Amino acid sequence: MSEHAGTPEAGGIRFDQVTVAYDGTAVLEDFDLRVEAGEVMALLGPSGSGKTTALRAVAGFVRPARGRVWIGDRDVTDLPPHARDVGMVVQQYALFPHLRVADNVAFGLKARRTPRGQVAERVAEVLEMVGMGGYARRYPRELSGGQQQRVAIARALAVRPGVLLLDEPLSALDARLRSGMLAELDRLHRELPGVSVLYVTHDQVEALTLADRVAVMDRARLREVGTPRALYRAPRGSFTASFVGSANLLPVTRAGEGRVRFGDTELRVATPGPGTGGAAATLCVRPHRISLGDGGTNVLRGVARAVQWRGATYRVAVEVAGHEVVADVPESASTPAVGDRAAVSFAAEDGVLIDD
Amino acid sequence: MTETDAVRGAAGPRVRERPEQRRRGAPAPGGHAWLWALPPLAVLAVSFLHPLALVVRESFSGGTAAYRQVFGSEAFTDALVTTVALAVGATLGCVVLGFALALVVAFVPFPGSRSVARFIDVFLSFPSFLITLALLFLYGTVGMANGLWTGATGAQEGPFRFLTTPWGVLLAEVTYFTPFVMRPLLAAFAQLETAQLEVASSLGARPARIVRQVILPEAYPALMAGGALVLVLCLNEFAIVLFTGAKDVVTLPMLVYSKAILESDYVSACVVATVDVVLSVGLYGLYRSLTGRSSRRARAHA
Amino acid sequence: MLVHTRKGRWAVWAVFAVVFVPLFALPLLVIATASLSTNWSGALPSGPTGAHYASATRGESLAALSVSLQTALLASVLALAVGTWAALSAASLGRRGRRVLDALFMLPVAVPSVVVGLAVLVAYSRPPVLLNGTRWIVMLAHTVLVTAFAYQSVSAALTRLDPAYAQAAASLGARPWYVLWRVRLPLLLPSLTAAAGLCFALSMGELSATMMLYPPDWMPLPVQIFAATDRGSPFTGSALAVVLMAATSLVLFAVSRIRTKATYR
Repeated sequence: MSEHAGTPEAGGIRFDQVTVAYDGTAVLEDFDLRVEAGEVMALLGPSGSGKTTALRAVAGFVRPARGRVWIGDRDVTDLPPHARDVGMVVQQYALFPHLRVADNVAFGLKARRTPRGQVAERVAEVLEMVGMGGYARRYPRELSGGQQQRVAIARALAVRPGVLLLDEPLSALDARLRSGMLAELDRLHRELPGVSVLYVTHDQVEALTLADRVAVMDRARLREVGTPRALYRAPRGSFTASFVGSANLLPVTRAGEGRVRFGDTELRVATPGPGTGGAAATLCVRPHRISLGDGGTNVLRGVARAVQWRGATYRVAVEVAGHEVVADVPESASTPAVGDRAAVSFAAEDGVLIDD
Repeated sequence: MTETDAVRGAAGPRVRERPEQRRRGAPAPGGHAWLWALPPLAVLAVSFLHPLALVVRESFSGGTAAYRQVFGSEAFTDALVTTVALAVGATLGCVVLGFALALVVAFVPFPGSRSVARFIDVFLSFPSFLITLALLFLYGTVGMANGLWTGATGAQEGPFRFLTTPWGVLLAEVTYFTPFVMRPLLAAFAQLETAQLEVASSLGARPARIVRQVILPEAYPALMAGGALVLVLCLNEFAIVLFTGAKDVVTLPMLVYSKAILESDYVSACVVATVDVVLSVGLYGLYRSLTGRSSRRARAHA
Repeated sequence: MLVHTRKGRWAVWAVFAVVFVPLFALPLLVIATASLSTNWSGALPSGPTGAHYASATRGESLAALSVSLQTALLASVLALAVGTWAALSAASLGRRGRRVLDALFMLPVAVPSVVVGLAVLVAYSRPPVLLNGTRWIVMLAHTVLVTAFAYQSVSAALTRLDPAYAQAAASLGARPWYVLWRVRLPLLLPSLTAAAGLCFALSMGELSATMMLYPPDWMPLPVQIFAATDRGSPFTGSALAVVLMAATSLVLFAVSRIRTKATYR
């Protein structure tokens, strides 16, 4: 599925037609994905979409019913977890409560029988890397949530894994802390250029901020893979369109080259998209690409149904031909009141046609 | 300020509500807490504490003469040694076996492993002598094992005659008391986050190392508490010994029984009883201090 | 979770079965089978018979069952009352006071049951209260023994009980008695029934203290089982044992039903 044609090397993860089933129900189906060495791949999807299952298949905690999992050029499908050479960070950190921070970080090194002197050196190094150098003697319960998170990351990195598996690592933190950690994860990854990262999240902001590429998942299947920008600008499916960023999804019919019909209004769109005239399609327009007034190429007229103040912008919902069109517009004197007649417009290149 | 510092500053010191502070009991009705404790204390004093004191007083009724006589008798020293040896042996057996079995039930679950846990609860509510009774059918002189042997070899007698020796008592005690170790262990294992085991194995730890370095330290208080409880229960066990009908396995409780009921020598019985109480209560005190510590630790982890 | 290969898991399960089944499941099975046989000196018992049950459910055996049930019922009701009262008053004491009460009420667990029997025998074979030779001395000893467990269960439940409920009730203007009666005791109900079940089961199977002080006209079931086994009829003994287990299980089951109801309310 990946368009990157890379040669197999030390890092990287490859899912080859992986299917995982519990009691006959597939929780991951025909999953094909390649994460390059040094790449950050986000698995984005709602709960139950199979994203965590995919991660656990790499770690070795679920066994695929079919298909193979590769780490670098090793087929790890039949290897036990301890032989897979991965680093893993989970939502609740799972620090060992009876071990001090330093011993938690040293755990993997000792499991690999690393000489004692090297263990101490490496522990100090990774703790410094995550900014926890001063906490080596503490117990996990004496740390804040964010600090425990850093220790968990240090513990995973200490063994210099080829791949790093992050399972909703920030979801236990509050919003403010989360954005800080996000910046930090980004910095950490730049310090570790060879490590492939598989980052499972249901939060699109995390995925778009951190990932080189995002794999969108829904109901046990991979829906779409692409760079955050591509997925946001030109989603191919309506699930991706609505899950990655917010979107107006308008039912339209094709009316010829570069033209569609929405209600009784004809709209111009830049993307040709497949399909012939008269065929049904969905038009995706991002709210912030829609402006008030009739100054754009495509103009929709209707009645304002809701106006919400959102700080930097107003969110205006206008009912057009029985559908709600949402626009994020800057504060201005012309912001309509609820019940007013209103016109909104957007440029041809901001309308993306989707087929499902 | 670096990004790191900014984030660390935002995290701040974590203020955690200490459960102990919330767990203070509500004040008693009326507010005179000790007054309300008096009626049950009075009942306990009349029904148990005073009788126990009478036993101690009775044991000194002829000065220390009875003590000198009892301590000088071979029957007493034998019983003391047998009691302690059996209790220690059975406890070790229960701890090892209970830990291993609980590990499988909790961490290598199989279809029906939950009913094993429930079976253990039922097992605990049955009296101990049922085990000895069952062993009589299995390894008794006319039991199944010996019957099979004589049937197969044509010999007059089977080779299994350990039931009336300390080994028979040991087997019965290990069987009956192992669930007492398993139950607190299963509770402790249920508290353990499975994510910890997974992270440990993804860090390269094999099962043996995970058991040693992750599971055992976490379950250690429960294991110690269960082991100490079993030690005390084994020291006090009477029914199992009574049912084997072995003349040469005499423990301290057995000695108390035979002195008082079979020989009607109440003074000697009271002497042995006093010694037995000191032994058991001493060990039980140790057990209480251990469980107290482990529950405090569990709360600190919560 | 711990063993990741299929082969490894099967190996572990095989070892588990080899240890668990003969050691724990077999004894109960053996007793049940023996209770239906007349002879067992081979791989399997022989001479299937229902005679042991016929005799186990009439005459002095039936009387023994009745004695055991009455004793256990009285002992567990008394133990629950005293134990709950003591646990509630201990919970309202300070840390040190609670420790003293804990130690005193848990003492009967640490003291060998035989010695508890001896102590009760010594104390109540003399004036002012002469109970020796009556059924009451058995009931007293049983109550002493099981009160400790009632106290322990209720104390444990009290520490788990979130004080927020009682505090909320108090903030709504409820007096301490009202809080106790309408809030704390109802919340404790599941634990109280569990404690009652535990006490009942322990009393049903009590042999050690009973051997020290039972009068001829108040012979509980465990003593009867011992007597049968001791005089060389273990098959009758095992039929009685099955009756004992069945009666205990039945009561425990009934108690757990009440408990589920109380929990869901």
